[in-house]
Amino acid sequence: MTALTLSLVIPWAAGLVLALLDGRRPLVGWLAVAILAANLGALAALAVAVLPDGSVVVTTGNWPAGVGITLRADALGVLFALLSSLALIAATLHEVLDGVRERTFPALVVLLAAGLTGVFLTGDLFNFYVFFELAMTAAYVLATYGSGRRELGGALVFTTVNLLGTFIFLFAVAGVYHVTGTLEMAGIARRMDDVDPNAAILLATGFFVAFSVKLGLFPFHFWLPTVYTAARPPVAAILSGGLANIGAYGLLRFGGELLPDELDLASGALIVIGAASIVYGGVLAVSRRSAGEMLAYSAIGQVGYVLVAIGVGGPVGFAAAILYTIVNALNKTLLFLTAQMRGAVVGAAFALGALSVAGVPPAGGFVGKLELFRAAANSPALIALFVLGSALSFVYAFQVYQYDFWRGERAGRRSTIPQQAVVAALALLVLALGVWPEPLLALSHDAAKLLAGDGSG
Amino acid sequence: MNLVFALAASVLFGTGAYLLLDRDLVRVVFGVVVISQAAVLTLIASGLRRGAAPIYPLPRTSVSDPLSQAMALTAIVIGLAVTALLLVLVLRVVHAYRSPDLGELAAWEARRDAGIERLLEREHEEEEAAAR
Repeated sequence: MTALTLSLVIPWAAGLVLALLDGRRPLVGWLAVAILAANLGALAALAVAVLPDGSVVVTTGNWPAGVGITLRADALGVLFALLSSLALIAATLHEVLDGVRERTFPALVVLLAAGLTGVFLTGDLFNFYVFFELAMTAAYVLATYGSGRRELGGALVFTTVNLLGTFIFLFAVAGVYHVTGTLEMAGIARRMDDVDPNAAILLATGFFVAFSVKLGLFPFHFWLPTVYTAARPPVAAILSGGLANIGAYGLLRFGGELLPDELDLASGALIVIGAASIVYGGVLAVSRRSAGEMLAYSAIGQVGYVLVAIGVGGPVGFAAAILYTIVNALNKTLLFLTAQMRGAVVGAAFALGALSVAGVPPAGGFVGKLELFRAAANSPALIALFVLGSALSFVYAFQVYQYDFWRGERAGRRSTIPQQAVVAALALLVLALGVWPEPLLALSHDAAKLLAGDGSG
Repeated sequence: MNLVFALAASVLFGTGAYLLLDRDLVRVVFGVVVISQAAVLTLIASGLRRGAAPIYPLPRTSVSDPLSQAMALTAIVIGLAVTALLLVLVLRVVHAYRSPDLGELAAWEARRDAGIERLLEREHEEEEAAAR
């Protein structure tokens, strides 16, 4: 319980203090890293408390249950919070070692961590919106980091499109309150059965659109390449490795727990959209030459797998979606960070990340793909789709590897040893997930069982 | 009453969406603002109930739903913050590109991409020539 409160209070309070300090000074940058590490520690303590016996629920302000806003930590939320926190730390460390260029950067990352932790650990629908908007607002400003023409143009697109997404989410929240009369997620899940199916489908569509915009799924992806290629590498890593997790989490939480019947109904459509994402992202990524652009299109393709797994549904499908989201977020953090680096370790780290994206055995991506194949075992069409997607990702990832590391070296200055160490550590983590996947497999299966169990019962 | 709110919200959303598609950046900001107002209106409409203000409810009098009002207030505050942020962002974009027109932004981006394309092509040709 204290761990839950601490994991929200630490980054929130510290973010406000950091906002007053000049982030370009190395000390402030390191302070931000320390705060993120403290947040990660609190989340780890929370995970230890949550994972054996289900969930921790806190009603804020000592209000009686049902009146106050509930915070709830369960396996799914804690897993996503830990993952996002890890991505933020890696990206921040990478940037602090390079030298922060703008005074607001450390404060914004810490506030983003506060928002993300809140999104994953809240049990209240409107509170979810507030934390969602907090995380997004920090991200809007982060996207301008660098302040060049490209960054500003990208940030403008990012802000406008995602604001529209969050407002659509807000419409759906208002609708849910209207039909169920409660904002508490557990209560909504119970009362959703009595709701008029037409209204429920409309609400489910609203949530789906809102989270698909965030994830960058195929018909809602139009903003993503502009933004991810314009943003500086650490910011792109934060956006795709940390922030985009909200989309996957939202689809799992709202689809799997709150609106399970609507999810069943839409499973065919979700699989088609996911398949379109995989093919579209893969084909366009093959046509790109620079690492940043390839990664942006690859991000569209990779979330397609998550959506297909959610569409398949059930404990196996959800577990595959959770596991693939985790692996994909780590891959993207690693690859975006290496996108403009130069040095001895960088090539190896990039190759490992590329193997992971393609799903080749020693890397973590293999385990993710394996779970996907398990989820799709009954459908030859889906297996064929996954094989095609994996082949495309192998081609685009190694094409860029060939351009950037085989034909000579990248332009620009050589990255420092500590920076390379950060990337190497991330690469080792991806490798470790592939070599020793049991803990993560067990965790994602637990989280998925909880979700599927809640949904049907 | 529900119908009135629904109509008002949908007209606001439609107006906002129309403005959002404009090339003028200031109109885009207005579009976002108007859509946020549509969302606030929907929040209020989600808990419509006749009654007194729920400040100090007397027993057996009906009060209006305080929760949807609290949500609307929060949404208004967030909307204000986001609008301010968006205006600053537009200002910085206008300074950087010296134009408040989205077409200019797109044209600059296209010129930049074309430049990169030419560079790559030349590199490729040089490599081919070296190979021969």
